[in-house]
Formats: sequence, C-alpha cells, structure tokens
Amino acid sequence: MSGRRPFYKPALALLIALLLAVVGFVQGQLNRQRAALGLTRVTPLENAPPMLAFTTVALGGFRGLISNALWIRANELQNDGKYFEIVQLADWITKLEPTFDQVWKFQAWNMAYNISVKFSDPADRWRWVKRGIELIRDEGLRYNPHETLLYHELAWHYQHKLGQNLDDAHRYYKEQWAREMEAALGSSRTNLAELVNPQTPELQRQAETLKTQYKLDPKIMKEVDDQYGPLEWRLPEAHAIYWAVVGLKNTSAEKQNASDLRTLRRVVYQSMHQSVLHGRITSMEPFRFGPDLTKVESASDAFEKMIAIENEIPDAFRGAHRNFLREVVYQLFVNGQRREAERWLTKLKEQYPGAVPPGMTAEHLALARLQLSEINSMGHDRVKAVVEGMLRNYYLNFALDDDELAGGMEYLARSVYSNYSTNINRAAVSLPPYAEMKQEVLDSFLDPQSGLDPRVPARLRTKLGLPAATNAAPTAPSNP
Amino acid sequence: MQRTLAIARLTWKAAFRFRLFWVLAGVLLVSVIVLPLLLKDDGTARGFTQILLTYTLTVITTLLGFATLWLACGTLAREVEECQMQIVAVKPIARWQVWLGKWLGLLLLNATLLALAGGSVFVLLQWRAQQLPADQQTILRNEIFVARGALHEPTRDIESDLERIFQERLQQTPVPPEQQLEVRQRLREQLLAGMQVVPSGYRRAWRIDLGWRKALLRDEPLFLRVKFHAAQTNLTGTYAGLWQVGDPEKSAVWRARFSQAADTFHEFAIPPNHFDEAGQLTVQFVNANNTALLFPLEDGFEVLYREGGFGLNFARGLLIILAWMGLLAALGLAAASFLSFPVAAFVSASLLIVFLSSGTLSGVVAEGSISAPDHETGEVQPSWFDRSVIGFYRVLLFIVNAIQRFSPIDALSTGRSISWEQLGLAWATCVLMMGGLIGGAGMAIFTHRELATAQGSS
Repeated sequence: MSGRRPFYKPALALLIALLLAVVGFVQGQLNRQRAALGLTRVTPLENAPPMLAFTTVALGGFRGLISNALWIRANELQNDGKYFEIVQLADWITKLEPTFDQVWKFQAWNMAYNISVKFSDPADRWRWVKRGIELIRDEGLRYNPHETLLYHELAWHYQHKLGQNLDDAHRYYKEQWAREMEAALGSSRTNLAELVNPQTPELQRQAETLKTQYKLDPKIMKEVDDQYGPLEWRLPEAHAIYWAVVGLKNTSAEKQNASDLRTLRRVVYQSMHQSVLHGRITSMEPFRFGPDLTKVESASDAFEKMIAIENEIPDAFRGAHRNFLREVVYQLFVNGQRREAERWLTKLKEQYPGAVPPGMTAEHLALARLQLSEINSMGHDRVKAVVEGMLRNYYLNFALDDDELAGGMEYLARSVYSNYSTNINRAAVSLPPYAEMKQEVLDSFLDPQSGLDPRVPARLRTKLGLPAATNAAPTAPSNP
Repeated sequence: MQRTLAIARLTWKAAFRFRLFWVLAGVLLVSVIVLPLLLKDDGTARGFTQILLTYTLTVITTLLGFATLWLACGTLAREVEECQMQIVAVKPIARWQVWLGKWLGLLLLNATLLALAGGSVFVLLQWRAQQLPADQQTILRNEIFVARGALHEPTRDIESDLERIFQERLQQTPVPPEQQLEVRQRLREQLLAGMQVVPSGYRRAWRIDLGWRKALLRDEPLFLRVKFHAAQTNLTGTYAGLWQVGDPEKSAVWRARFSQAADTFHEFAIPPNHFDEAGQLTVQFVNANNTALLFPLEDGFEVLYREGGFGLNFARGLLIILAWMGLLAALGLAAASFLSFPVAAFVSASLLIVFLSSGTLSGVVAEGSISAPDHETGEVQPSWFDRSVIGFYRVLLFIVNAIQRFSPIDALSTGRSISWEQLGLAWATCVLMMGGLIGGAGMAIFTHRELATAQGSS
C-alpha cells in the first residue's frame, strides 16, 4: 500500500463522486420515465399491512420477476386443470404488484369467469365467483381506493356475473347472494336508516358485518337507496349500483377521465334496467325472483340523470333509455298494468318520436314483441307449445303470489290462442279448446312427477282451493 | 464396508455435534406447522389438503435439497481445507471409501429428516381430516387419501390402419408419388379425427379392460377423468352430454347428464359394479350440442380406480424424494472433490437452480433460440450462438426431465398411485445411473487429488 502514489486515494474518491453524480442524473431521468410510463408507484401504498409494505420495498425491482414466475406457474396449473393453488398464487401475485390495477382485475376476472365455469357443480362455481369478488372488494380496493377500473370491475361482477343470465348457474348465484344478504341485513333491508345509527346490539352487529365482511357502508347504502331506490339489497343489482356510486365518489381527480366515469354511470342505469326486469324477490322458499315494476320511475330518472351529465356521447345513452322505455311498456302490459303501459308508451312517443309507429298501442307493442306473425307460421305443435308455456308461467306466478304477472301471462296466452285460431281455421291444425288446454297444463303442473319443487304445486292447490295431493305410491300393473 | 460405515457414522455424528441435525429438524417442523396457517386455499377441504400436501412437500424438498448440497460440499471440502482429511487419508481406508461413506452418511441423515418431516405432514393431514364433516372425509378418502391407478383405452396401431387405408385408396385412385406423402398425412388426420371427434348428436364408446383387477374392484366406486375440446365455443362455455356406464346387455347401467366446460379435466364418480363378467367396462358419451367435441387420445379419457392406501403411497413418494437427495449429495460431494468449499457450493447450487428452471429450458429448446422472438412476426431467427448452445440445452433438459418426471408431489396431491415400479425406476435413474456417474467421477477425482496442496486457512 505504501508503494502507491499519493494521488491514488483522492483519484478514487473523485471517481466515486463522478459516478455518483452520473447515477444521480440518470436516476432522476429514469424515475421521471418510470412515473410517466406508470411503471412505478409514485404514492405510498395505503392501508398495507407491515408485511406487505416491507415486501414491496425490500424486494424492489425483483417483485416483477417473482410475480412473473408465479404468473407462469398459475397459467401452467390452470392449463392442467389444477385450480387448488390459484387462490394462493393470485394472492401473492397481487401482493407483489399491489398498485397495478390490471393485475387485480385480471386475477379476479380469471377466478370469477374463467375458472368458475370449469366446474359442473353450481356450488363450486359460486365459490370461485365469490373469490373473484372478494379479491377486488376486500383487497384490491383496500390498496387502490381511488382506482375507477377496480370499482367498475367489482360492479360489473355483480351486474353481469351474478345479475345476468349468461352463466348456467346464475340462479344459484342469485339465491346464495340473497341468502347471505338476508342474513346480513335482517329486517333492516327495508329500513337502512336504522343501520346508519344502530341503536340495538343486533343492529350494531348487522352494521359491523356489513362493514367488515361486505365492505358496505350503511350510510352510503342509505344514500344510494334514497337516490335510486328503494332497492332490493338481496339482489346483485343494488350492489352493482352501490359500487358504481362509491367509485364515482372516490375516483381521484388525476384519474378522472370521461370514459372511465362513463363506464360507472352505465353500470348505474343498466343495473336499474335489470332491477326493473328482475329486481324483486317473489319467494325465498323456493327462491324466485321477477320484475319489479315499481322501479320503472326511478330507473327512468337514473337514465335521464346520466344523459344530463353525459357530454360526449349523449345519443348512446338516449338510445339505451329508448330501449328501456320500450321494454317497460311490454313488461307493464304483460304484468297486467295496461294503463301504466299506455302512460309509458305515451312518454316513449313524446320523448323519442319515431321510436314506435304513431298509432301503436301498448297491446300492439307487446304482441309485436312476441312476433305473432311468426307464431302463425310456426305450425300447430309449436304454437300449442307456446300457449302451454305461457299457461305454465301463469300457474307458476299465480302459485308464487305474483298475481299481476300471472294475469298478464294468461292474457297473452289467450291472445296468442285467439290470434292463431282466427287466422288458421283448418280443423286439421286447430288447437284444442282453450279451457281444455288450461286444464291439461294445470294437471301436469300438479303432477308430483313434474319435477317442480313440491312446495310450488302445494301452494297452487291452496290458492285454487284444491285438495292436497296424496302420497300413495303408484300401483304397478300385476301379471294376470 | 466396515470402513465405509465408519465414515458414514462419523458424518452422522458430526451432524449432531454441530447441532445441524436439530436445526434442520426444527426448521422442517416449523415449516410444516406454520405453512397451513399462511396458505390461502380454494375453500374446500379437498383444495386445502391438496395445497397443503403440495406446499409442505415442496418446502421439505427445497430445504433438504439446499441443505444436502451445502452439507455435502462442506463435509468434504472443509475437511480438506482444514487438513482433517489429510489425517484420514493416511489411515488404512481408500479415498473412494471415504467418499462413499460420506455419501451414505448424508443419505441416512436425509432419510431420518425426511421421515421426521414426512411423518409430521402425514399426521397433520390425518388429524385435520378427522376434524372435517363425514361427507368431506369421504371425498378426501376417495380422491386424495388414496392411491389410484389409471386405465386407458388400449392404444390402437394407427400406422397399420393407415397403411391399409392408404393401399386401398391407391387401388381405387392412383396417386402420383409426389402427392403420396400429403395424402397419407390427410388420411392420418382423418383417422385420428375419427378416434377423437364426437360430432353433434353422435356417440363415442370406450371399452376398458379391467383385467385381473375386476375381482378387487367389486363394490368399489370408479372415477372417470375426462377432458374435451369444442369445435365452436358457445356463450356459456359449457357443453351438455349424456354419459352411460355399463353395457345394457351384460351389466348394470348408470346414466348421467352433465353440462361441462371444455378444455379442462372433469372427474366424476361412477357407482360400483358396472362392468361385465369379463371385466369389460363400457362407457358411452352422447354429444347433445350443436358442435363437435374432441376427446384427445392422450388425456381425454381415463378410468381411475383404487389401487392402494395413502400411507404406503406417501411413503413411496418420500422415498423418491430421498432418491433425489441421494443424487444431490453425490453432486455436492463430487464438486467438493476438486473445488474449494465456496466454489463447490456455488457450482452445485447453480446446478440445482438449473434443475428447478426446466420450464425456461424447455421454452428455449422449443423455440430454438435463447433470444426473444420477433414481436412483429412472432418468428425466431436463431443465431450461430443459438445453434451452438441449443444442443447443450437439449441434453440438459433431457437430464432434468429424466429426474423430474418422477416427482411424487403431483401424484400425491391428486391421489394418484406411485407404483413400486416407478419408485424402482426413480432410484435406478437418480441414484444408480446419474448418482453413479457423478459419484464415480467424484471418487476418481478425489482419489487422485493431491491433498497437501489444498491447505486452507488452517
């Protein structure tokens, strides 16, 4: 060491200083680029438990590599049909990239949409759908409380996966959700005000369950219910609206862009539309749901509110409103509310001239929806099947105390029958007498072998004043 | 042999003297106990058991794997560096016996630790299962805590069929020689399609010969494991089909209608005793969709049956892990035979990481290049460097796959049987063949090594 020249150490110090300066310059530029390209977090992670906060800092850039490796493993397992590790892998992947909203979105979607349908049993499917919802609701939004995309995704899961009928198991999802919500809300589902300031231990427990387990704030629920309701909180549409509204409230100023907000507004009016179509639980045992025509007014208001706010593509929103009004006229008509149907038809004509021919009545519109001209050309067997189907619906709704819908169905069955009988007067293809058809459908409905939940025919018997069914076993013919 | 055993005993004693055994045993036990508390499962008892089995066995294998390498390198290289080996070398014992004794000592140490950790996993699983409701216990007993064998349709000789059809075709319509290859290819595809595709409204039958197993499978439920692809996807992603098990003329018949998703495996139980007197099980599927469905020949259909109990299967799985440890011990000792401790540890750990990176290796070999494909065209342009290294990668992948294919973790977590034959093959491949080659090289190097030049800090 002593043999080294005297400038050796100062030269090394100078070199260190120079390299640090260069690194400082490059680092600043790199940081700016990372921020501009959205490759890094510019704000500290909110609500993160200490372990997660530590992991995200300690692993630094290696988080991406580990996340990739886990993602590859998850894909391989999924391709092999092995799903038992997916929840764990999704948890790790999202925790490694907690502020990357697309990661949360993809993992939740994968579980709720891709994996769930791989199972035949609805209970298995429901478990995966719930996992998807929980991933965003319980964790994604915890770390990203201002991300519009996640609010929309969560609302979409309720609106589409649970609310729509594209999944074979959608009825099962709705039923399970309704049972969970009934247990969570109790009698307060129709009086949310008592959950805002819970006075009894029972109400306090319910409010706490909603907050901790379902991440629902009773105060916001009440606001949403006042604005768009009363909503049926046991059905998924109310929750889709709730999360869309929370998203509209919480979206950070810098993230606010028109198209993101538009997606949330769409969720609101589309879910209101769905609520009108099937937003009422008619029976919990057995679980049945049907249209809720009391929401027509508030749904239409929601549409108009969203149209008023929309600046860029109001015509798209108006188109949706016009279709909604057409649907409403039909629904009101088949549910026996003919005067209301006419009133909404008038509104449709006034608001959207040209949407329907000027002289069209609600009955014309309803029958046009059924495409009676096509029914006449369908052939005898198919028309008979259509009429019987309507009569079956009539008895089903009558048994479930939905007398309005039952009345509408019976009216339509009679209309189709009369229309066909008037136009087709050849004896060879004529339908049996209407009363006979009705009795035949009733007999099959009450048949213990019909495959229906036995409580439904039993209720119909009570309503029609028929004697109870006997449980005697059918006797087999004996050999002579 | 006595000398070799003496060295093995010394290695074993050293592990206790340095408290290594207790530390490793403690770490393994803590992992087995703590893991279930940290894992997130899919919400089913079956899923939890599967993930628990997979993760605990993976953690045990990884911990023991790295510890074995470290120990193997340390026990030989450090003894050489600290001049203890020089004292042993002058004793009446051959160097290869020292080497083998150390390997044996490490293997015994691993066997004990594996038995301890594996036993804990087994007890933990059984204990957790006992806390479950009866129906969940039945599912576990039938699907996870069992050793299930698989039966497939007998493989058809496609080539002879193809040749016959091709000759018939040539007799009917002569085909110019330059087009014969293409015609043959098309006929092969048609033949394969006929065996795999079930058109809309059609049925496909599988006949499985249970053979000598028929007597053992009386009153035992069987499981069908199926997978199909759809020609056209529909809105719901699920496809209806009618399954019929049994031949109406020869045996009882069971029917079920399922709506199942494409591109994934479905497993469902079928009631016992639906095969005929000759042990033939007939399964039919009727395609009730508007689109054709394809059951791949390789994994589209198999019948799972109970072959044995979980305990013995689990023990066989642990013995395969022990075979891996034997190979790693040989690798570590071979590296320490001519390298210093840190270098030997680094080299052998790197090889272990390569072993764990088989996915990357197979990706590189499949693409034929270590560089990324062109993002525009998706094509790979292999360079001279690629051409020179791909051959090496291919050999490496072959070796890695030869070892990894015995992995017992997947089989145990899905209730599949690990046969004695598989276990024997694993030991023959990993310990006798690969371990023997590596060990032979290590012993030869160690025998000819000049120990006096390797004095380290001491």
